[in-house]
Amino acid sequence: MGSASGVLAVIGQTWRIRLLTMLEYKANFFMWFAFTIAYHGVAIAALGATLYNFPSLAGWSFREVAFLYALWMLGHSTHNLFFFSVGEVPVYVQEGSFDRFLVRPRDVLFQIVSVPNQQWPDELVLAIAWFAFATWYAHVRVDAVFLVAVPLVVVGGVLIDLAISLAIATLSFWFVRVDTLRWVVMSLEQEFTRYPVSIYTRGVRILLAYVLPYAFMNYFPAVFFLHKTGQSLAVVPWLGLLAPVVGGLWFAAAYAFWHAGLNRYQGTGS
Amino acid sequence: MRLEPYLQFASKAFQREATYRVEVLSEIGSLVLRVYLIRALWTALYAHNPAPPNLPLHAIITYSTVALLLSLIFEVDGTRQLREKIRLGTIATDFLKPISLPAYLFSDGVGMTLLHALNVVPSLLFALLLVHVDPPATASATGAFLASFALGYAVNFLLNFCMNCVAFWTLETFALQLVVRWLSDLLSGAIIPLAFFPGIFQAIVLHLPFAAIYSTPLLLYLGMIQGPQIGRALLEQALWLAAFAGLGALIWSRGRDRVVVQGG
Repeated sequence: MGSASGVLAVIGQTWRIRLLTMLEYKANFFMWFAFTIAYHGVAIAALGATLYNFPSLAGWSFREVAFLYALWMLGHSTHNLFFFSVGEVPVYVQEGSFDRFLVRPRDVLFQIVSVPNQQWPDELVLAIAWFAFATWYAHVRVDAVFLVAVPLVVVGGVLIDLAISLAIATLSFWFVRVDTLRWVVMSLEQEFTRYPVSIYTRGVRILLAYVLPYAFMNYFPAVFFLHKTGQSLAVVPWLGLLAPVVGGLWFAAAYAFWHAGLNRYQGTGS
Repeated sequence: MRLEPYLQFASKAFQREATYRVEVLSEIGSLVLRVYLIRALWTALYAHNPAPPNLPLHAIITYSTVALLLSLIFEVDGTRQLREKIRLGTIATDFLKPISLPAYLFSDGVGMTLLHALNVVPSLLFALLLVHVDPPATASATGAFLASFALGYAVNFLLNFCMNCVAFWTLETFALQLVVRWLSDLLSGAIIPLAFFPGIFQAIVLHLPFAAIYSTPLLLYLGMIQGPQIGRALLEQALWLAAFAGLGALIWSRGRDRVVVQGG
């Protein structure tokens, strides 16, 4: 992977290019920021209007659902900021531009992550602001446990997101067109995480908890922070604090799969 | 204006879309997921809360599912290529052709839409495995729904057309367009019925042009707009259609005069 200072230099360059791009295309930056606000604003407004008419969603109020959304948003936008390009691997493979990563003297995944893109911290800033508001709004107690647990849950969420996009990226080595799978998994993540997992049927609950463990990004941690009781699958109240463990395990598995896939890809490529 | 070339354009667009079979699969796949989500969400909401008047569980599930099927059609944007044509400068050669470009975009969009409309059939069949969808309330509701759907389609086309024409002024319009798309999904009643908006917001959104796209056809389908109100609802849609047609014509003529093809 090269020396540590070399790695740092690449990371520094990537961020420099990103910043310069942002400054160069200011109007573009503001338009995409408006898009980000509109996207989350519409999702939250729809939740708000729905729960205004139906105050209880399987025992969850709008305040609690707002916090649920904020937790997901925090993990997801942090993932996007650092690892967005991993989701682009299937496109690189389709276009044939993936091969160039294989001939350069750095770790392939590190190179992918360092592709300069137009991901700026705007969504993360928005996520932090909404999370701060939702924490107050949902009357979540901010104590030492909270301050330690939230970053851990975010790290877990990032790893879960990363593990799943890395696994899909690896599948694209075998099946060049994985768009269908990408879309299905993306809508599973973005739309199914908006609601408490308890509203789903058993099969989907298990899928979201233990196969594509998005429930560890927000549902289980929210159960812990909001002291919700009698929630399905939450066998212990602190289950959500295992998010970094689950994320770590899933990422390790995805990374092993990625390596196996890379070896195979190189095999056919030569 | 001769109609025949435009029928050809539509047929070509239909054939072009038919080559992307994988996208058809992903469209149906994500639709099935969303239908499942509709069932889970509304069943949970109705189980724990009193049902709102005039809107029993089967009506809201029908509303949301039909909205989803309509979105297969409404999300096709035949005017999107306008943006590319302006950005790349190829619009200059289009102006030389003896055709009306807006009419070309419309027929191209109709052709694409027809293919996606075919998707509605298998999608509906899959949806019916998960939820019960009521048929239109009455025979006259069916007729009114179809008329209203046609008007909504035209309003949606013109809204997209106007948005893509913005590219005449600023070349990067994609983000702006997505912003309008998300807002329009919310304000048109595609995600939730507009009756769910509280108080004053409801009065406003019901009379915004977005309501003419999803909300009016869907309320006619469910028979929630009845009798003399039907005529009024259709008239309001027609007025929005006329307003957007006028706006579109204005933007188009202004934009066309501005075209300076970028070199390179």
